[in-house]
Amino acid sequence: MRENAKHTQDGKLSEDIKTGFTVPENYFKGIEDNFLLNLSEKKLPKNNVFEIPKTYFEEFDDHIIEKIKPKKGKLINFKKIKLIPVAATVALIIFFGANFSFNNNSELSSDEIVNWVDVNINTISSDDIAFAFTDLNFDDMNPYFTIESEDIIESLINSDDIDFIIEHANINEIN
Amino acid sequence: MIDEIALVKELQNIQTKEKAFRILIKEYKERLYWHIRKIVISHDDADDVLQNTFIKIFKGIDNFKQDSKLYSWMYRIATNESITFINKRARERNIDITEMKQELVSNLQSDRWFSGNDIELILQEAVATLPEKQQLVFNMKYFDHMKYQEISDILETSVGGLKASYFHAVKKIELYIKKKTH
Repeated sequence: MRENAKHTQDGKLSEDIKTGFTVPENYFKGIEDNFLLNLSEKKLPKNNVFEIPKTYFEEFDDHIIEKIKPKKGKLINFKKIKLIPVAATVALIIFFGANFSFNNNSELSSDEIVNWVDVNINTISSDDIAFAFTDLNFDDMNPYFTIESEDIIESLINSDDIDFIIEHANINEIN
Repeated sequence: MIDEIALVKELQNIQTKEKAFRILIKEYKERLYWHIRKIVISHDDADDVLQNTFIKIFKGIDNFKQDSKLYSWMYRIATNESITFINKRARERNIDITEMKQELVSNLQSDRWFSGNDIELILQEAVATLPEKQQLVFNMKYFDHMKYQEISDILETSVGGLKASYFHAVKKIELYIKKKTH
């Protein structure tokens, strides 16, 4: 069979011979370009000319893990819609408490704040938070870390925490 | 060889996320670094971009739907981060991106993390003159020995288009070096 194989003028095997081999479409068309390309490539240098500090890759893993690790108690994910009312509550307690007590020269009780939040919880928008925290860039916050809403609620119903927030807000305002 | 599907599952599970992410970093940091470095040129910039790339990967892994390979997806993030980085630098300096790339290469002579000779420096200059797509294809094919299909998956361009880009890139570089050395 092999001995009988005959090629036609255009390089194809005659009709009666089947080898079973095929080539990608346009393979022969591109062979000249590929050859020239190889010649051009061989003229170019190929060394890796970029260097790195010796321990760079060894230290990289820990460095990046440290960066993505959640930092407890520092960042709140305000992008989570369901947390916005709760986060707004915290923001407004500080804002409202600070302004009210400072401007009116009077003390707010924990109960008054809790009642106010109770009544206004549905009207607090994300704009309120942005207004209360004008010095924060929310885009720079790490969206990975979130505080559970239960944690915030628990701390809110603890009256000592509210007293602390009011006290802290008053000190900041006076300073 | 890493089992990508299993790794993605672990990355998307909060219980195993950090451990899996460590594996991911270990597996891909070098390849991504060298890909980024060839685009942004300096080590310090490559370090910044690589960190941003991994942070983006970490943040975005929950939304990764496995429509493409994890590897291709990460390469795309690294490529976008690198290009965004250069664009931002160019905007800050009020120059266009080609000028910015040439400026980055011109700093190589005094760069302590560059060890190339004159011809190798000229090669980097030549690569910097290429249009963005040709530059990417050249680096991935010539230096990283990636297959056209892999490059196609990452850059979302047809294999035929990539071959043409690579051919033009090599020819332009060859001509550039010829002009500079004769």
